[in-house]
Amino acid sequence: MKILIFSIAMTATNLMACNTNDNKASETTKSEVTKDTLAQQSATADTVAQASTGTVFPVKEIIGRYLQVKNALAKDNSKDAANAGNELVASLAQIDPTKLSPEQQKSYTELADDLNEHAEHIGSNPGKIEHQREHFMMMSKDIADLVKTFGNAGQTLYKDFCPMANDGKGATWISEVKEIKNPYLGSKMPDCGTLKETIK
Amino acid sequence: MSGVKKILLILLMAFVAIQFIRPARNEDGQDLATDFRKVLIVPEQIQLLMQNACYDCHSNHTAYPWYANIQPMGWLMADHIKKGKAALNLSDFGSKSKRRQISKLKQMANQIKEDEMPLYSYKLMHKKANLTKDEKNLIITWMNNTADSLATTD
Repeated sequence: MKILIFSIAMTATNLMACNTNDNKASETTKSEVTKDTLAQQSATADTVAQASTGTVFPVKEIIGRYLQVKNALAKDNSKDAANAGNELVASLAQIDPTKLSPEQQKSYTELADDLNEHAEHIGSNPGKIEHQREHFMMMSKDIADLVKTFGNAGQTLYKDFCPMANDGKGATWISEVKEIKNPYLGSKMPDCGTLKETIK
Repeated sequence: MSGVKKILLILLMAFVAIQFIRPARNEDGQDLATDFRKVLIVPEQIQLLMQNACYDCHSNHTAYPWYANIQPMGWLMADHIKKGKAALNLSDFGSKSKRRQISKLKQMANQIKEDEMPLYSYKLMHKKANLTKDEKNLIITWMNNTADSLATTD
């Protein structure tokens, strides 16, 4: 009997602690995409070579979603940041890596996996803005590298740096406006930061 | 037999019945070349702290306590381990790209800093996983420094 009560009590404690995010939804989307890809592969084998110039890769859309996250965080709006994070997850799931050149595939998979993880964390943690900002910091590095590898999709971008973010260790972000709007400190210090690089 | 006794008896029978449904155990037993400790140069003290506080749910080998044999405890553990490994598996850390490794190191440091990890329920049952402030700082600093040095090397 004692064991029974003990295990019921433990069940309750464990259930309470079980707040790990459920990534099943995005996993399903991914596997569906893979299946579609496999089905298409044989049919479109000829067109793959043509498409491998990289036009199928929605750089602009990914940057756009990232900028949405950035602007929401700058306004201390955790909920909007989460929504934009979820939309970024959806954008990433649409990409068909088989339509990229082998070189692009490697850098893409690396970047996309990391971006996806950060976007998921931002998306599933509305209300935990500091947690979102930590992931946003790592995401900003990915986006900067994405722009380096895949270009800026014709959009002028600005690389900004705030020395006070990240517990005084400093952090970088990418912006579409020249004016500083700090996504790490938000309304506490909206204009903390300097322009480091203009990407044209 | 009174109503209360009947209910207790049914509960007891259900409890006995579920004991026969046992989840697969997370026991690889191999020390993989891709293990966190093989890929990075990890100070011994940090290896030990991580073994006590992280490896049960974040690797291919769990040191099971006795009550893992009692259901539903075993099921809950299996679920925690599954989720834990999906988020971070220290046994295959080395198979990830450098970008992912840096990202994981920073996330680990953040989770410890914010007291999200180790899980509260895990710490209740594992005294050794209850890291002191100094131990936490040691791990956090080492992880952040390692992430930064990985980022600057090719």
